[in-house]
Amino acid sequence: MGKFAAWVGYLIVLLGLPQLFDSVLAITIFNQMAIAIVFALSYNMLLGQGGMLSFGHAVYFGLGGFMAVHALIMIEFETVYFSITLIPLVGGLIGLIAAVFVGSFSTHKAGTVFAMISLGIGELVAASSLIFVSFFGGEAGVSADRTFGPPFFGVEFFQDVEIYYLSAGWVFVSTVFMYLFTQTPAGRMANAVRDNPERAEFIGYSARRVRFISFCTSGFFAGVAGGLFALNYEFITEENLNAVTSGRVLLMAYIGGLGYFIGPIIGAVVLTLMNSLLSNYTELWMLYLGMMFVLTVLFLPRGFAGFIMMHQTAWLRGKLSSLFLPYLITGTPAIMFGGSILAAIEMLHHEGEPFGFLFLTLDSGNTLHWLALAAVGAASYFACRRSLGQLNVAWEEANRMDNPTEGGPG
Amino acid sequence: MSILSLHNVSKSFGKTEIIRGVNLDIQAGERHAIIGPNGAGKSTLFHLISGKYQLSSGRITFRDQEIQNRPPYEIARLGLARSFQVTNIFPRLSVFENVRCGMLWQQGLGYSFRHLLGRQTELNARAIHLLEEINLADRADFPAGELAYAQQRALELGVAIASGADLIMLDEPVAGMSLSEAEAAVSLIRKITKGKTLVMVEHDMNIVFDIADRISVLVYGEIIASDSPQAVRANPKVQEAYLGEAALAAAGDNDA
Ligand SMILES: Nc1ncnc2c1ncn2[C@@H]1O[C@H](COP(=O)(O)OP(=O)(O)OP(=O)(O)O)[C@@H](O)[C@H]1O
Ligand SMILES: [Mg+2]
Repeated sequence: MGKFAAWVGYLIVLLGLPQLFDSVLAITIFNQMAIAIVFALSYNMLLGQGGMLSFGHAVYFGLGGFMAVHALIMIEFETVYFSITLIPLVGGLIGLIAAVFVGSFSTHKAGTVFAMISLGIGELVAASSLIFVSFFGGEAGVSADRTFGPPFFGVEFFQDVEIYYLSAGWVFVSTVFMYLFTQTPAGRMANAVRDNPERAEFIGYSARRVRFISFCTSGFFAGVAGGLFALNYEFITEENLNAVTSGRVLLMAYIGGLGYFIGPIIGAVVLTLMNSLLSNYTELWMLYLGMMFVLTVLFLPRGFAGFIMMHQTAWLRGKLSSLFLPYLITGTPAIMFGGSILAAIEMLHHEGEPFGFLFLTLDSGNTLHWLALAAVGAASYFACRRSLGQLNVAWEEANRMDNPTEGGPG
Repeated sequence: MSILSLHNVSKSFGKTEIIRGVNLDIQAGERHAIIGPNGAGKSTLFHLISGKYQLSSGRITFRDQEIQNRPPYEIARLGLARSFQVTNIFPRLSVFENVRCGMLWQQGLGYSFRHLLGRQTELNARAIHLLEEINLADRADFPAGELAYAQQRALELGVAIASGADLIMLDEPVAGMSLSEAEAAVSLIRKITKGKTLVMVEHDMNIVFDIADRISVLVYGEIIASDSPQAVRANPKVQEAYLGEAALAAAGDNDA
């Protein structure tokens, strides 16, 4: 069965990644991805599946994370005795409790009311984290050591790669459960309420109750992600529950694609990679992230996952390969155009000093560089526009119904 | 025995009284049509019964329980299903999911997150069966919002009848359908309401006189007659207020 194979593949990728890339940087990135995947999937339960736009989802992530760090401290001081492999569960429970409390009044309405309440709660919790210093540790946050407690089959989690395998397990289990949730009556009615809360009430469902269930489930998994964060970093600060973190998870889910279960996974992977790799190359990566978000909203409203799924028809017809060359013809100048824009931005940023850009050395003081850049930019822009026609033709050709009487998807 | 009774039901929006002291008894098992000119308050009456609007005054009993001013989902759970005059479906869900969602509560699945929908073989078979009845089986996997207008009307009907409720209220179910589509819909309505109670708002007098056991005429928020089709047709008040010559002629043709 296709679905089963996909899950096995997912598990193999999760477990196999550290075999392929085993540098310290790679493991660090994988750990961040693991956290981001669970967090972004939990966010999409609200926005993509439930139609609730939250600007404060980091609250559940952060509160779960803080409690998880405190649980680690309690293990260290032997107030409690359990394996640290269960720490994400601690985070999840706190996320759930917080969501039950907030959801009891915030899920009354979706739309603007819900969004504003989420923003308000986010600000409120972020502010209180600087007030209740004994729990939140003020600006410095709280830190712990994960290497206490009973070893897990001999593993004591001194190394990041050991934490990665633990996280991968949690990511897999969380993904499975979040997927299964979408297949239950509660999960399906969340979609129905997203589409049309009024009609849902006339088929027996309280829209508010349906939202509340999604909200709590989502809070639980956000807390699990917070617990994974605590395990990985062994410290947590106010920054992890404030609006910046809330905004980032929104970006991940959106860029990945809200309408697809795997969308947020793609978004989490892409944004984590950009975050870690791009930030090594340029100080402007936040700007590029913003640009990518705007471009995605404008040109790929269904996100990366939607872009991939657009090709399903062509693929089913065995015509996907016919798109390769047309994509190359349009894509090359498009990338060159994007590159010229980036080069121009970097030149403005590195005013007065030469800097490396790809294999070139650019200097904003050199008029020739500006002229060359303008020429490449203009040429690639027009080449790209002119080539759109052939891409369109190829696209129509690849997606055309062979048989005019053929209805929808089989 | 009456399954649904309205006692002195009134509804005002601001100062305008739209429903003015309506008394109405729907007998269990009958097919009851509500007719009346545009703006008479027929849809408003449906909204009051189904819990969408709060009453200004009066009482509504459904199977001996007072239901006025209770939320729609509680009324729906008691076995009262309705459709809407303006199509009101779940646009991003597939056609199949639309009707299946309509079945979930009565199936006892409620808010469960322990049951997997894919495993509900009997439920899924029933959803497919219903799609066949409303002629949408070949559109099962389409997003409902992408259906043509008449197909959306068929789906609107499908979602309403999915629960298998005892009392089914349809607000202009065939409006906007072609003649043949309307005919198919009417015979479907007749079929699925066998052994149930139907309350239907309809402008097409052919359909009304064809399907209804009793007819109530609503004019300016008041019921001016509630009787058998023959008696309603003969009622001079009704003729004056609503039934034009053309409608009568059409109904006459139909009977012959
Ligand atoms: N929410 C509302 N607020 C104010 N006035 C309303 C509201 N809903 C309905 N009305 C008014 O109540 C009157 C009755 O409307 P209703 O939709 O019930 O009529 P109807 O008999 O269903 O007409 P039609 O045959 O055109 O569907 C209309 O004059 C309408 O403008
Ligand atoms: Mg109406």
